Amino acid sequence: MRFSGRWYGFLLNLPGLVIVLLWVLFPAFLLVYTSLLRYDNVRPIVFAGLGNYIALFQHRLFWFSLQKVAIFCVSTTALTLFGGMALALSMARITKGAWFFRSLLILPWAVPAVISGIIWKWMFSPDFGVISDLLMKVGLIDTPLSIYGNFDMAMVGIIVADSWTRVPFMGIILLAALLSVSPVLYEAAMVDGAGALHRFAFITLPLIKGPAMVGLLITTMFSFRTIDIIMPLTAGGPGRATYVFGYYIWDQIIKTLNFGMAAAGGMVLFFITSLIAAIFVYISRREA
Amino acid sequence: MMEKIFRGRALPYATAIILLGLMMLPVYWTTVTAFKPDVETYVFPPVYLPRNPTIEPFRLLFEDYPFSSYLKNSIVVTLTTTFIVTAIGVLAGYGLSQFKFKWAGTLLWILVFTRIIPPLSLLLPFYLLVSWLGLVDTLTSMILANIYLTYPFAVLIMKSFFDNFPRALIDAAVVDGCSRTGALLKIVIPVSATAIASTAIITYLWSWNEFIYAFVFTSTPSAQPVTVGCFDAIGDIFVNWNQMCAGSLMAALPGIIFVFIAQRYLVRGLAAGALKF
Repeated sequence: MRFSGRWYGFLLNLPGLVIVLLWVLFPAFLLVYTSLLRYDNVRPIVFAGLGNYIALFQHRLFWFSLQKVAIFCVSTTALTLFGGMALALSMARITKGAWFFRSLLILPWAVPAVISGIIWKWMFSPDFGVISDLLMKVGLIDTPLSIYGNFDMAMVGIIVADSWTRVPFMGIILLAALLSVSPVLYEAAMVDGAGALHRFAFITLPLIKGPAMVGLLITTMFSFRTIDIIMPLTAGGPGRATYVFGYYIWDQIIKTLNFGMAAAGGMVLFFITSLIAAIFVYISRREA
Repeated sequence: MMEKIFRGRALPYATAIILLGLMMLPVYWTTVTAFKPDVETYVFPPVYLPRNPTIEPFRLLFEDYPFSSYLKNSIVVTLTTTFIVTAIGVLAGYGLSQFKFKWAGTLLWILVFTRIIPPLSLLLPFYLLVSWLGLVDTLTSMILANIYLTYPFAVLIMKSFFDNFPRALIDAAVVDGCSRTGALLKIVIPVSATAIASTAIITYLWSWNEFIYAFVFTSTPSAQPVTVGCFDAIGDIFVNWNQMCAGSLMAALPGIIFVFIAQRYLVRGLAAGALKF
């Protein structure tokens, strides 16, 4: 044996370490550094201290986009949890053709998010949209629906579309958890006369709480920062009806080219994401 | 009565079929539209089953847009990323799982930390690096970005698989005179083929599906991947929706294929990586 265990494990991680240092930690350092610069592609770059952060906190649009993303993120996560739970509960009891059902369940996850946005844009089309037609057939609306003419509907539109891409992951996590619950527990409870609701509340729920928290954490974190699906669908509009925080950062990079502000925005996004992660970890630890 | 329904098999199937049916609507609608002639695309109420299915939208897609170039770029970027990330990820995951070394804890922590950093936050510094290196509008820039985006998850999946790897197999190989590297190459990697496949497939799909980095880094069809190509096309004043659906279908094709042929690996990989998080 040429290497001791200590060195061998480290050696195996060496190529990865290079990636992490050059690809992640260096850009992360650059992000912090840029956020402290006055870097607006107009005036010369100078050190600005916390100037960008102060400007950010004084920017009305910053708070507005945070408000939008809060509505978007909470609604998406709730809808995803609801949809994922309904699917997982029904699919946990399916044996015949389980393979096929599961493939369908994860299909939306495998579609590129930006392509999902394009697809939903076509479905929501005010002129030829299939969603308008179906809703009219069911009798929910009388005239074709336009998510581009109604501020609230635009938000509902991106929430539905984004949830569509997130339900699969939540569903898979919950399904795996449900399948690991021993059927003996249910049988015992049934012998004791527990109804379906009781069994769900006292057996299923406590046993899948851990995985459900992981699903919730990832859904919340990811929907908080998403813009892929919003870009083709509403592009932040109409007006600024779907102008989420990610879009605010995006515009600073692409449109106003204020790199200092973009970096400060990126830092805020990172802090909020970490905060979300910390809250979930805290709750899971406390309850475990 | 209620109890009987709940205990029966019919209700789960009915619920699953209805819910999945709703979920499949976008997939169905894209597929159907992709095979419609223009007259059936631009009508209201819409046509649910094409009366004259045609592959014309696909043909025009390649004629009107540099779509073959988009596809080629996506394939090159994705295959390169998958190869690099899987190879390095397997080694790193194995090292982290099977050997105790000084920085193991720190490394693992950094990987989890990396997963928490939003890609959108690092987009700007990454773009600055790419432009300093003169890599704007190249395939290399996207390969670099995709390596960053997929590597941490790949290692975490591999580590969680190796954590359950039967130690006795390795010990037996070492007793038989295999070196550590020999044991890794001859025993561990072949036995873990399915786990490695999970990692490779997830990496493949993630880099294939990547959009925002590619959108910022590239500007011409010589480097743009299929996600950016499709997005650009719907920004036109007149959108050819049947062609766009054909394009979307092709952009989603690797996902659709892997979901059906490798569903088990995908599910295992996702669950493993997520729960290790």
